[in-house]
Amino acid sequence: MLEMKEISRVYRTDLVETHALRELSLSVDTGEFVAVTGPSGSGKTTFLNIAGLLETATSGEYSLDGTDVSGLNDNQRSRIRNEKIGFIFQSFNLIPDLNIFDNVDVPLRYRGFDGAERRGRIEKALDQVGLAARMKHLPSQLSGGQQQRAAIARALAGGPSFLLADEPTGNLDSLMARQVMDLLEKINNEGTTIVMVTHDPELARRAHRNVQLLDGQLASPDPFSASQSTPIEADLQPVA
Amino acid sequence: MEFRPILSAMLRNKTGSILVALQIALTLSIVVNCMFLAKQRIDHVNRPTGMDVDNIISVRSMGFGTDYDHDRTIDNDLRLLREMPGVISASHSSGLPMNGSGSANGFAGSPDEDASRVTANYYHVDERMLDSLGTTLAAGRMFRDVEIRRADNELLNRMPQQVVITQALADKLFDGEPALGKRMYDGLGESAEVVGILEHMYGAWVGWSDFDQVAMFPQRTEGPHIRYIVRAEPGKRDELIPLIEKTLADSDRTRLIRGVSSMEETTRNSYEGDFAIAVTLSVAVGLLLGVTGLGIVGLASFTVRQRTKQIGTRRAIGARKRDIIRYFLIENWLMTTIGIVLGTVLTIAINYSLASAFNTDQLNYGFLVAGMFMLWLLGFMAVAEPARRAAQVSPAIATRTV
Repeated sequence: MLEMKEISRVYRTDLVETHALRELSLSVDTGEFVAVTGPSGSGKTTFLNIAGLLETATSGEYSLDGTDVSGLNDNQRSRIRNEKIGFIFQSFNLIPDLNIFDNVDVPLRYRGFDGAERRGRIEKALDQVGLAARMKHLPSQLSGGQQQRAAIARALAGGPSFLLADEPTGNLDSLMARQVMDLLEKINNEGTTIVMVTHDPELARRAHRNVQLLDGQLASPDPFSASQSTPIEADLQPVA
Repeated sequence: MEFRPILSAMLRNKTGSILVALQIALTLSIVVNCMFLAKQRIDHVNRPTGMDVDNIISVRSMGFGTDYDHDRTIDNDLRLLREMPGVISASHSSGLPMNGSGSANGFAGSPDEDASRVTANYYHVDERMLDSLGTTLAAGRMFRDVEIRRADNELLNRMPQQVVITQALADKLFDGEPALGKRMYDGLGESAEVVGILEHMYGAWVGWSDFDQVAMFPQRTEGPHIRYIVRAEPGKRDELIPLIEKTLADSDRTRLIRGVSSMEETTRNSYEGDFAIAVTLSVAVGLLLGVTGLGIVGLASFTVRQRTKQIGTRRAIGARKRDIIRYFLIENWLMTTIGIVLGTVLTIAINYSLASAFNTDQLNYGFLVAGMFMLWLLGFMAVAEPARRAAQVSPAIATRTV
């Protein structure tokens, strides 16, 4: 599904060179729910941006669904983001002037679906997250948890290969956070691959496996994953 | 296309858009009416005069000496002028058309006291005046040499027996009936036979609506003032002007030669006010378009800055750069179009008010269409750079939490 080989990302200014990722190798299989954790400054956001094709790596190879996406141009990357990746952001990133229906519709319009196809997908996605009755509401008329569910519906509507979640419960209280995590687990159980970036150990524990970053590299196995059925050591082996 | 969501987003965040749409509406109404008025001024200036304005020279002579003989001076001057190489024709005249100064009287097509009078600008001229002005007869004839009353003629203060009039005057006097051979009456019961009809020429006052109602009578002016109308061969006018001045001045010391100038210059001076209005209106139109363009740039730049995160999110979930550019272009087009629709109503209302209050012409709708396209183009150009900047927003902005 997702395979990174020796990915590095260096940010350069006139005065300083920052190595956000250092030869990171990682693979995620179809249907997995992987949590990427690490302290602040460990490279989580850079990993997320590169995994989501929001920015490019300085070096290394990256394949998505068996396709090398390292050398794609801006339009091709936009297309893959639209078709294969569903984004869930910490701040939901819903468009405040559009109602929930139109928010979910945004990526579908970029995809070029006709009106009937879009409507069907929007209704299905909103139904999946339990917001079918609120499709005419503006984001400001919904609670934080509902807004994040709407954002999940937007991510799901296009039928992506995997969901990329950036601190999906970071702006929610514990009750709403639990509801959103339940929803993500449900979506994963239905077959959607999820890669979630978080610094919250509680959240990470609910993933199938944890990958911990430290200084832009894979750290030692995450203690929270010790009880998981999949051995951490196997997950963290460099890709051959 | 994504009109509906863009429009609904605009309506939820409408203050800036409404203000710019109103600005566009006002701009359209002012620009279209100003362009229309400016074009009317330009058309006014460019009306066909019926005369060879580019090649005509006007010369004024004023006798002052005790030995001054008006008729003798005119005879000599005309002989000298007509002998000069490069001169096609020379005539004496009581005035120069289109210079803002002349005489007018009320004339009628019948002797009845109750007959409606038509105001006409009239000149006292000689038999060669048509050649000297480059005008053309539509019917009849020009005066004969013997018909021209000299300055010493005792009947000089009475109406001459012949008159040549413009077609426009003939149509007014005789209600479109053939005028040749009929008599034209002044208010004192005197009359002249219409011996010739001029196709077209203008009189003295460029701002007068009946500017083309002109009559010519066959006589000299009473001294000591006289004006000569000299028509030069094409290209010879400017070299003849100083030559004429010197030749006439040297030939007779009992009078003063002054005001030797081209008719083109005189006409240009007469139309100075029209030019000034056209230029002022054009400058106002340019400034207004510039201010409106800046308003659109300002709003678009503000919204791009305000929506950086939203643009990044759109990019993250699949928008290409051209989708972002298209979004801003459509948004601007919608705002401009709303302004244009309002502006169209306002434009017609303003024109209707002007037409009612000042008796101006009804708007030519071609100007409205031109104004619409101008504002659409202006909107497009004004939003192009902010839209291009918006497209440069990185999709990685979407994952930033601050």
